[in-house]
Amino acid sequence: MQITLKGIVIIVGNYGSGKTEVAINLAAHRRRAGVSVRVADLDLVNPYFRTREARDSLARLGVEVVLPPARYLNADLPILDPAVAGLIRQPSELTILDAGGDDVGATVLSSLHHVLAEAEAQVLQVVNPLRPFTDTPAGCQRIRREIEAASRLKVTGLVGNANLIGDTEPAHVIEGYQFVRALSEESGLPLVFVTVPEPLAARCATEDWVCPVLPIRRQLVPPWLRAADLEAAD
Amino acid sequence: MGKILMKGNEAIGEAAIRAGCLNYFAYPITPQSEVAEYLAKRMPEVGGVFLQGESEVAVGYMLFGAAGAGERVFTTSSSPGISLMSEAISYIAAAQLPVVFVNIIRGGPGLGGILPSQGDYFQATKGGGHGDYHLLVLAPASVQETAEMVMMAFPLAEKYRNPVMILGDGLIGQMMEPVEFPEQLRTAPSDKSGWATSGMATRGSRQRNLVKSLFLDPEALNNQNLLLKSKYDQMRREEVRYEAYNLDGDYRVLIVSYGTMSRVCRTAVDNLKAEGLEVGLLRPQTLFPFPLEAIRAAAGGPACQAVISIEMSMGQMVEDVERAVCGIRPVHWYGKCGGDVPTPEEVMDVVRGLLDGDR
Repeated sequence: MQITLKGIVIIVGNYGSGKTEVAINLAAHRRRAGVSVRVADLDLVNPYFRTREARDSLARLGVEVVLPPARYLNADLPILDPAVAGLIRQPSELTILDAGGDDVGATVLSSLHHVLAEAEAQVLQVVNPLRPFTDTPAGCQRIRREIEAASRLKVTGLVGNANLIGDTEPAHVIEGYQFVRALSEESGLPLVFVTVPEPLAARCATEDWVCPVLPIRRQLVPPWLRAADLEAAD
Repeated sequence: MGKILMKGNEAIGEAAIRAGCLNYFAYPITPQSEVAEYLAKRMPEVGGVFLQGESEVAVGYMLFGAAGAGERVFTTSSSPGISLMSEAISYIAAAQLPVVFVNIIRGGPGLGGILPSQGDYFQATKGGGHGDYHLLVLAPASVQETAEMVMMAFPLAEKYRNPVMILGDGLIGQMMEPVEFPEQLRTAPSDKSGWATSGMATRGSRQRNLVKSLFLDPEALNNQNLLLKSKYDQMRREEVRYEAYNLDGDYRVLIVSYGTMSRVCRTAVDNLKAEGLEVGLLRPQTLFPFPLEAIRAAAGGPACQAVISIEMSMGQMVEDVERAVCGIRPVHWYGKCGGDVPTPEEVMDVVRGLLDGDR
């Protein structure tokens, strides 16, 4: 089963759920499949570990990354590039908007409401049940309602992203899949895809899953580790 | 409870709760504001209090008041915020109050920048505020260790009736790693009845306690400072903590590095070992008291030709390393302090450079 996402995709979720890692990997995965892709970093609340960390490898793949002007990149200011509104009005085959965490981070989407209202965007909530506050379906539903209220958008689908970064075991991935499936049934929201760290993919038996899998090549790494190769063929 | 994935800043908040601290006063500043965001949600769940002060100056004296009344209390901030609190830190040390401070350092001096730095080493270990006092300074290098040190800090602050500081650069607060908390910790608070102004059940039911830092009589002030000094000397004897890495073999260079920087150095040590060059790493986990004797012993290793302090600061810890090494080996410094953390490759180049002309 392949990921076939197109159009405007907005990535939301609770703080630290892995939105940026998902956005970068989704962009690269679709680009490697020949789709034209643009990504905009709308995270105005997180100072480190943002889309910008992977901008060079994304650029080499031919993914356009829209970031605030370079001189404001490390400013502690919520700068929304006006180019983002233009990006939404004239989207590429796949346009990914990587929003900040929680309702606070999603507030920026509300300021784009005038363009998003006509754009028929898909709004995907990233869920990692191994994070605080989203370890129960009720916690995930609560953060969804808060994000919806702050962004003036409705979540249209779920992305399972269970992981402990470097300590992730196949069991975490499989239990995370079951968790997000139950959440999907409870909420009525479709499960759009589930992530699997690429090195574990062969050990996770995902063939029978009801949704496609996005392999994750980790990009947001601390300075003593190397990011995985985003450009190698699937 | 198994492992969960947390930001360093979130782990700090959870660890304080696990340690039985239900009072958190703070003022937001990048890159540590997630502690307040986390505790704004968590404190109400456990019957605790998060109160945002009107400034860091106000927070400093809120801590003084709560600790003086015998409550476990802590704050978190980043560099400029700690500068603002420094007057209160001096008063808290003078009044012998157990308070836990967390400084998630950003670039300085002045407003500096919001990226990681270790530029507050002097501020944390040599003063910051006025007078003869010391903080007990713990320097974690992972999210798990950050949580453990926060949990350790409360009993240490009470053991010494002295403020304890957790010193981490911005990455320690911002990075995400798996962390595991003990099921039940909540160390019993120490007996504070001998000094805390916790109220008398009935008037005269116990001796009146007075929390103060004013000693106008010269002999009384000198005695007060001797008392404080005896506590710092006891810390020097009992609280030195460090981690040794690759110090068993015939290392030719000794790196001293702490926090995030030590994680980079560890990777560099592994890579150099694969190339056939043995390098040792000593990571201070306490910056005050500083592991002077351990560093001197390691510097005296039979194959050791040079010692280098690698810091995200412009040569601060190197002064303590020189004090430790006492001239038995040449001591060098390498560092960066703009926000870019030196890479393992940079560290490897610097270490190779120390041995140039000798290979």
